[in-house]
Formats: sequence, C-alpha cells, structure tokens
Amino acid sequence: MSYEKEMMEKMSQGENTTDRLDIPLLKYLWEASPLSFTSKESYHEFFKKISVLSSFSDNEVRLFTKYLHRREFTTNEVIFRQGDSGYGFYFIFSGSVNIYSNHQTLNNEDPGDLIVRLEKRQYFGEMGLLEEFNRRSATIIAAENTVLLGIFKPDLERMLEVHPVLGAKFLRETALIMANRMGQLTREIVSLKKKMKELEQRI
Amino acid sequence: MSKIQKIKLYLFIFFVTTAIVFAILFPRLTLPFGFSYIVYIMAHPVTILLTKGTVKQRIWYSFLVFLAFLFLLFPLFATIYSTNADLGELSTQLPLIQKIIQDKFFLFKVNFFEKYGIRVNLDPVHYMMSKLEFFGTDFISRFPDYLSSIFEWLLLVPMFLYFFFKESKNFGNKLMEAIPNPIFEKSYVLFSHFNTKFGEYIIAKFVEAAILGTLVTIGLLIIGFPYSFLLGFVAGITNILPYIGPVIGFIPAFGIALLSKDPNVSMWGMVIIYTIANLIDMILVFPLLVSKIVNLHPIVVVVSIIIGSQLGGIVGMIVIIPFIAFFKILFKEIYKDLSVNI
Repeated sequence: MSYEKEMMEKMSQGENTTDRLDIPLLKYLWEASPLSFTSKESYHEFFKKISVLSSFSDNEVRLFTKYLHRREFTTNEVIFRQGDSGYGFYFIFSGSVNIYSNHQTLNNEDPGDLIVRLEKRQYFGEMGLLEEFNRRSATIIAAENTVLLGIFKPDLERMLEVHPVLGAKFLRETALIMANRMGQLTREIVSLKKKMKELEQRI
Repeated sequence: MSKIQKIKLYLFIFFVTTAIVFAILFPRLTLPFGFSYIVYIMAHPVTILLTKGTVKQRIWYSFLVFLAFLFLLFPLFATIYSTNADLGELSTQLPLIQKIIQDKFFLFKVNFFEKYGIRVNLDPVHYMMSKLEFFGTDFISRFPDYLSSIFEWLLLVPMFLYFFFKESKNFGNKLMEAIPNPIFEKSYVLFSHFNTKFGEYIIAKFVEAAILGTLVTIGLLIIGFPYSFLLGFVAGITNILPYIGPVIGFIPAFGIALLSKDPNVSMWGMVIIYTIANLIDMILVFPLLVSKIVNLHPIVVVVSIIIGSQLGGIVGMIVIIPFIAFFKILFKEIYKDLSVNI
C-alpha cells in the first residue's frame, strides 16, 4: 500500500496521523542541497525578471527557453569581434561583458575603446537575429566567467514555424528593444548636435 | 585563444574525425542510419503539425515509427514471395533473354553483311552478355545476404527513427554544447542551413518523382502498354537521380518494347509518353520545385553525380547534390569572412 493511501485510510477511520510529511522542511532540504538545481535561478525565473519579456505568460517562457543555447565563457574570452557575421541574440544569465569599439588586434592585449559594460539580465546582438547579412558593430569580451543564453536565426525560424504566436510575440519584443535603442541613439545625436552648436557659437 | 579553448577545439575536431571514420568503416550501420535520417527529415512537416496538436508526443512518434516499420515490411514480404516464384523464373528466363538478344544481334550482323558487305564485330555484345549472365547468377547466389540485410534494416531503421523522433533534440543540443565558442555561431547556422536544404531537396525530389511516375503510368495505361504501374514506379524512383535518372528509367520500357511480340505494344507511343513526361518535368516541375533549392550549374550537377556514384553508388548519387549545395554556401560564407578580414 502506498504512503498516500495509508494516510487516506487512517484519516477516513479517524485515526491520528502524526507522522505526516513536513513539506516545507523537505522543500528547504531539497533546495539547500548542493546537488539540487532549484537552489540556483531557473531560466524561467530569469526571463520573468527581464522587463522586455514580462508580457510572456508562464507557458510562453517555458516554450521560449526550449529554443535557447547555453554558452559558457571564461574571463577575457571573446564572444564575438567587430566585423564578424552575426546570427544571434544573447541574454546575460550570469557574469558580465564589456563592449569595445575599434577592436583591431586578434589577441586581447588591446581590446579597443570600452563603450559600456553589460551585467546580468541585460542583452545584446539583437541586430544579428533580424538583419539578413549582419556584421557585428562592436567587439564583446567576457569581463568575468559568464553564462549567456543565445537564440539564433534558425531557432527563430523554427519558433515561427512551430509556435507562430510565440515567435510573433518575441519578434515584437525584439522590435521594441530595437526601438528603445534607436530612441536612445536619437537622443544622443540630438545632445551631440546641441553640444556642437554650442562649440561653434563659442568659436 | 586560451589553452582550454584550444583543447576543446582539438577534442571537437577529434570527435568529428572519429565519427567520419566510423561512418566509412561501418556502412552496415551508416546506411540504415542515413536512411532513417532521410525518413525523419521527410516526416518533418508532419511532425510540426503533430507537435501543434493535442496528441502526446510519445504516441505520435510511436505511430510514425510503426508506419515506417510497415513500409519496410512490404519489400520484405515482396522479396520472400518473389524468391519462390519469380526468382526461379528469373534464373530460367535469363539465359532465354540472353539467347534472344544474341540471336537478334546475329541476324542484324548477317543482314548488315548482306546489304553493305561489312562484317560487324559483335565481341562487345558477347562481353555484355557474359556480364549480364554473371550479374544474374551473382545476384541469385547473393540473395540470402540481401535478405539478411533487409532483416537488419527492419530492426535498425525503426530503432534509429525512434531515436531521431524522441532524442534528436536533446542529442543535438548536447552536440551543440560540445562545439567550441569561437566557431559555434557559424557552425550552428551552417548546420541548420544544411539540414533545411537537405530536407527541402529530399522532399522536393520525392514529390517530383511522384508526379513523373504518375504521368508515365497514366500515359502507358492510355496506350495499353504492359506493366504500366511498375514502369511508372521505376521511372519515378530513377528520376530522383538528376539528368541520368530519366535515361535509366526509360531502359526497362525500351527493353520490353524491343523484346515484346505483342502488336499492341507500341515503341513510338512509349517513347512519346516518356518524352512528354520528362519534358513536363524539365520545363514545369523541376524549375518550380527543385532548382530554386539546389541552385547549381548543370555541369556542376553532372560532375557531382559522377563523383557521388564513385563514392557511394546510387545513394551517393542522390545525396551528393544537397552536399554540394551546402559546400557552395560554406565557401560563400568563408569568402565573405575573408573579404571582410583582409
């Protein structure tokens, strides 16, 4: 007889069931176990905390994670170089990356000019997913041991084929990311023009 | 590149080389594996439809494997039945066919000498006849081996198919994880591109074969040619081989028309049917279905087929085309990268 049935019978007969399972304790022990994966942040929790994907339902996030590739990079490892063909869009699952422009050398001695550092839950490379012949516009190097979750052109095509609603939703979110970046760029251009005008007037 | 990355890259190259050597050394495993992969790719549109449905995955892929099992059972039973009747008949008929052909050529030689006074050398014909005899007896003596390999396929193909349907995604992901970071993006995209091209090519070729086979069958039925279904089937299957296929598919019908004494069997009617069917294929079906997928120069296609036949026989002739198309993409990508880096 299973434990569950035994308990049900005892309860129906009005017997005392003191040897009940302590679920919260078991859950704690399970999560605290060094072998348990639940002690770490799951992909599901990770994506639920990313603002641009917040419109995804639980099931959509679950399906979306099936299309992702986990890539691990060590400190100073080049993720991609400026001018490389681009095919993928990456989310930083753990660690951080540095973005450089004018990266010329093949070794990492002179990485170029540091533009920005991206941390956990940030993303990059969305143009590679959308453009037909994309060339990476900057070099990205892992600033520490980093785990990235990447989605690539074939995955997007497969997603649109198998789960078209999810594919369309993801494309909409990617377009939103692009629009935000464009907005940011426009604001920067406007501010630069303003500064140039001020400089011209001073001269 | 760091030391760990280099070790990872060398391990990956070693793994790929070992897999290729293994595939060459054990064709008895590689061929059913390749065949299962082709069936898996052909079932791709169906699997997508089924994935969207409510039926549990395990049920539908078990069903698909069962279908493949039935598909393989058919040639097995057909072969077993043919061993009793047809094969015995074939062994008695072969010398007869040989004699008819030799007599016809002898008559031709005599008539030619009487008309033009030139003696025709028939040695090549005798050589071909001896080869035909050898092929016939060799086929019959090797028949038990063929039968055992069919049983082997009957066991292996459903097993591999089940593996592809159930585990290919997990296995593919594990393989992808093994690809070193510097070459991952490109390798993954190229591999996916090849898979898509290969799948589209195989499906398009089978649809093209079905169309041509149906056209030939209907045409032969209309003119009352014997074995129209069988000849249509042969024409369809051989049409999978580009350029050479239609010629091979035409030979059995030509042989029947040549040897038949039935006045209803029209050689010209048959030739017209085959020509029309192949013209429709060349002008309409091939450009619409296949050429866009492959996009190779005809000379490249013919050279590829010859190389493919030398490397892997009939299977090599069929699968070499998508491989060449893939290499074309690969070289284009490498060239594109080089032109940017220089």
